[in-house]
Amino acid sequence: MTAPVTAGLARELAAAVDQLRRVTVQVRTRGAATGAGVLWDGGGSEGRGLVITNAHVVRGDQATIELSDGTGTRARVVARDVKRDLAALEFELCRELVSAVVRDSPPLRVGEVVIAIGHPGGLGGAATLGIVHRVENAGEGRPPRWIRADVRLAPGFSGGPLADTTGRLVGVNTMMQGGLALAIPAVAVEAWVRRSHALVVS
Amino acid sequence: MSPVLQSLSTELADAVESAGRAVVAIHARRRIPASGVHWRPGVVVATHHTISRDENITVTLPDGTTAPASLAGRDPSTDLAVLKLAGQSIPTASLRPDAPPKVGELVIALGRPGPSLTASWGVVSGVDGPWRTWQGGEIDSLLRLDLAIYDGFSGGPLIDAAGRVLGINTSALARGIPVTIPVATVERVVTELLERGTIRRAYLGIGTQPVRVPESLARRLDLKGEVALLIVSLEPGGPADRDGLLLGDVLLELGGAAVSDPVDVLAKLGGDRVGKPLAVRVIRGGQVKTLQVTPGERPMSRAA
Repeated sequence: MTAPVTAGLARELAAAVDQLRRVTVQVRTRGAATGAGVLWDGGGSEGRGLVITNAHVVRGDQATIELSDGTGTRARVVARDVKRDLAALEFELCRELVSAVVRDSPPLRVGEVVIAIGHPGGLGGAATLGIVHRVENAGEGRPPRWIRADVRLAPGFSGGPLADTTGRLVGVNTMMQGGLALAIPAVAVEAWVRRSHALVVS
Repeated sequence: MSPVLQSLSTELADAVESAGRAVVAIHARRRIPASGVHWRPGVVVATHHTISRDENITVTLPDGTTAPASLAGRDPSTDLAVLKLAGQSIPTASLRPDAPPKVGELVIALGRPGPSLTASWGVVSGVDGPWRTWQGGEIDSLLRLDLAIYDGFSGGPLIDAAGRVLGINTSALARGIPVTIPVATVERVVTELLERGTIRRAYLGIGTQPVRVPESLARRLDLKGEVALLIVSLEPGGPADRDGLLLGDVLLELGGAAVSDPVDVLAKLGGDRVGKPLAVRVIRGGQVKTLQVTPGERPMSRAA
């Protein structure tokens, strides 16, 4: 028996996960692995890179990030929003890195396949697969607060990417609730970065 | 490029979207609404355990509008309820009555616990033959699922990757384990509920417990089976009481078949048995005695 579709699926999934791992970092605070982060800007404005993670992943104002190739570097918390559970980390770039690509459109559909990358128990670049569980009706002009996904996340997935099958970022994984994953929509993160980072830079 | 992975994603989202057009939210309990499926024109199927009131029921349609619905009937034994919805033009579910699901088949559980549609995916983890629920409901096949249960799961449809409905999901029939009531069972119950409002079942008004018959007694009475059913409760004025069964009688045979499990009793009490006498063999006072009992029609939410 041959299974060409499943074999193709496995190959493509492995490639998509590989690509996503490159924009996922591991975040350590005081030596302990505390979660994951998304490489938001590795293009180097003034030789600095930017990582987005959850505020609950970085407790202090310093952290160490480990890139997918294993290199570690010190990072500084430049913005933190406990209410939104978001934090921005800046670090010195020694070379240009790939950045996550945000999916602005089309809107997410219930049932779409999504991939989450994280570091459960310090395990590097673990992947889980699931589907979009629910897309909240956006309020007047406001993006929905959460993306709910039928994906099983362990603690080390916090702050890491939730992406579609083309590798575009749709959310930042934040918590599990009632067996479902809750991620902050990437579009909301983008708006937050623009606002809070402008404050830091100016 | 990811042709297979992306196609899978698109097909699943398409299946959810098309099947979701027939999934409604049902407001018939406090707090979180439950799900229901527009099964036939003007007929919505839901689960019995998520409908806690018989009146003032409303449904939220896929377009977000709310409409009143009336309860046409419910069957606690299969956990199904049927609602009537007047004057709506939403599509009915596309059913897959033939080709039963196979173990390992990719399936999606849909729900609508409010205005938005919800989904979880997984596989069919077990397919078995006909089974009987603890309340005596006959279900054509046991479909067990490996997927996440969430608010709105019960009453929602299980769909295949093409968006066709395989049955109605419930978490209340098998101790919280998710199961799907297959299309054939739903069709049968819906037809009967629309005709009569209830599922007719025969009942005796007894509670039984399996007991081992002492070896000496079994030998003396020349019995074949080792296990029989001790009558531990008897509904006063119920069919069994009326026809002379007593507390403490040990039930050996019912309608000519040996009984060693309460399920064996339920198996003899289909809707067609109401009013038709059954021969009963019991041990009473160390002797085997044969009696006749005539099952009555079971009132709502009673066991055997």
